[in-house]
Amino acid sequence: MSFITSYCHLDNESCRVNGQEIASRDSESTENWLRQLYKSQDFVYPKFYKMDSLSQAGFIASELIKRAQPNLVSNYADDKIALLFGNQYSSVDSDIRFKKSYQEQGTPSPALFVYTLPNIVLGEIAILNKWYGENLFVVLPKFTADFFVNYVQIFISQGSDAVLCGWLGISSEQMNVFLFLVEKQGEAGMELTAENLEKIAGF
Amino acid sequence: MDNLKEELKNQIIEQLNLEDIKAADIADDALLFNDQGLGLDSIDALELIVLLEKYYGIQVTNPDEGKEAFLSINTMADYIIKRKG
Amino acid sequence: MSVRITGIGIVSAIGLTVEENLLSLRNGRSGIAPIKYLDEKREFLVGEVKIFNQDLIDKLGVKNVNISRTSLLGLAAAKQAWGSGTVATELKTGIISATSVGGMDRSEVFYQDYLKHTSPDFDLLISHDSGNTTERIAAELGISGYINTLSTACSSGANAIMLGARLLQQGKLDRVLVGGTDALTKFTINGFRSLMIYDEQWCRPFDESRSGLNLGEGAGFLLLENEKSITLSGNETLCYLNGWANAADAYHQTASSPDGKGATIAIQNAISKSGLGFGDISYINAHGTGTRNNDLSESVALKNVFGDNIPVFSSTKSFTGHTLAAAGAIEAVFSVLAIRNHLVYPNLNFKNEMEETGMKPVTELQTDLPVNAVLSNSFGFGGNNSSLVFSNAG
Repeated sequence: MSFITSYCHLDNESCRVNGQEIASRDSESTENWLRQLYKSQDFVYPKFYKMDSLSQAGFIASELIKRAQPNLVSNYADDKIALLFGNQYSSVDSDIRFKKSYQEQGTPSPALFVYTLPNIVLGEIAILNKWYGENLFVVLPKFTADFFVNYVQIFISQGSDAVLCGWLGISSEQMNVFLFLVEKQGEAGMELTAENLEKIAGF
Repeated sequence: MDNLKEELKNQIIEQLNLEDIKAADIADDALLFNDQGLGLDSIDALELIVLLEKYYGIQVTNPDEGKEAFLSINTMADYIIKRKG
Repeated sequence: MSVRITGIGIVSAIGLTVEENLLSLRNGRSGIAPIKYLDEKREFLVGEVKIFNQDLIDKLGVKNVNISRTSLLGLAAAKQAWGSGTVATELKTGIISATSVGGMDRSEVFYQDYLKHTSPDFDLLISHDSGNTTERIAAELGISGYINTLSTACSSGANAIMLGARLLQQGKLDRVLVGGTDALTKFTINGFRSLMIYDEQWCRPFDESRSGLNLGEGAGFLLLENEKSITLSGNETLCYLNGWANAADAYHQTASSPDGKGATIAIQNAISKSGLGFGDISYINAHGTGTRNNDLSESVALKNVFGDNIPVFSSTKSFTGHTLAAAGAIEAVFSVLAIRNHLVYPNLNFKNEMEETGMKPVTELQTDLPVNAVLSNSFGFGGNNSSLVFSNAG
């Protein structure tokens, strides 16, 4: 038995934590939505600006979950929090930018190349939090609650005490981001079942 | 020389996505890779190599050469002038 | 509880079959050479699979030619591992593949035409995404149960094996094809060059003068089966997968930590899971890419775990090049062959030990050492570190 204790949604227009909206996009602003969020939520992590959209979204959503669950950082040993993320588009946004840099501009950009792997977002979260646990990124045709429920169980039975899960459905037009935290001891939360997960995911 | 340094600062800000920083915020002798300076990392160092090629036509083939040259805006400007003759 | 490996398949720079690869390994024959099969003008040393796409399509009998090289290589290896596997509906069957490039090889062709407005063929894009790569392989083999694709950079292949093993142990699957595949592309060549870790010369893993990796391409697959599946298939158990582990390095997006923390945790946990002692490991097939950073970090991790008693080790990447997502799987096949044939492969091109560690890999093929258990390391960008332990006992 494990429990969903916190979650965060990010789509093109709004940001919600545990179902409550905490910010919505300002269509007048010249900044893109992720940058607006970074500033309006008072984050201080200059490396944010170097990240690609997958990592920026992953950063913001995981930090918001940490704020909603402040004990997350202190409750667990640094190798007991696993990361399990997935999406359908892999790193396509960065792939296209990188290709442009060497095919059109003639100078392949190392900073862009770094993000042409979808799992780098897990690296960014691990680096920031100094988490040494297991981490996995999968590419699936669409969000599959069963897969997450199954694999979270496997992680927990193999030693992790908490799993931060995420679906980063980001392409050049769409943003459908859903992060959720599962804890072994989290009776205050909702039981992790495919049905419950599908309900809160709301895809 | 001052023009070059000003240009360099703006190019670095743009190429490295340094948000909220203006050219005036970067001292000529600030240590670029130091946390008290610009806090650049190893990927930024590679981007500087790309920058030199893109804007100045200079190819740095040995990354260690870059370490010396990229200490500060001053050393970068000196390096550019030396390589361009 | 260990998992049985009953099939292996591989295509790489040193051979199109398991037998060809084994022969090259025995004869110290590297597959790294100037680019020939990829349409690229500049001279790079790479580990290409020595066959053109059309010949692969003909050999494999693929009807729908709208298929990426990554899928073709994967299919070639998966078919070998699958053997004469039947469509047994009472068995829960799956395939888990890993890739970092997906169908990028064909998208690159599309992109050139697209930029020049010379009637780009949009069909070329169908094969682009990583998921499609796996689905094509599954379709060609007639597998329709569980299909999954992983993408965790250079540890992907090992992670696919780990995921498959876990699903088997949990009873979710009875048999599963696991592995990884990546084709060579200009995308990855340019990328590694921009990071300045691509060696213009033949790579030298663990050597003091090493200056980077050579890219390779290829695919490796294993067939894992449980008792129920083996009763029906009658397949012989080739080897056992006893231990596995994954850990984050939490240090940098593409560089490994100087204290090798993530690698150390992965290695320790994998051996611990296997139930074997550190002294039981006969041979280590290292990640050993030849970059200044990885080889040092991995060496430090080996010292952390084994102290002064590091088992014989070598990197086979100077044979095959770094095959990215396929590496963990290709090297898993090499590990199985090492156990079955009591071989320890030479670390080609090594001359001088690293100043920081003084560690020496094996430089000549060893045929007299008992090889009962092998540790295989795969460390990926994003600090995703995986280790696998194989042995001849379950």
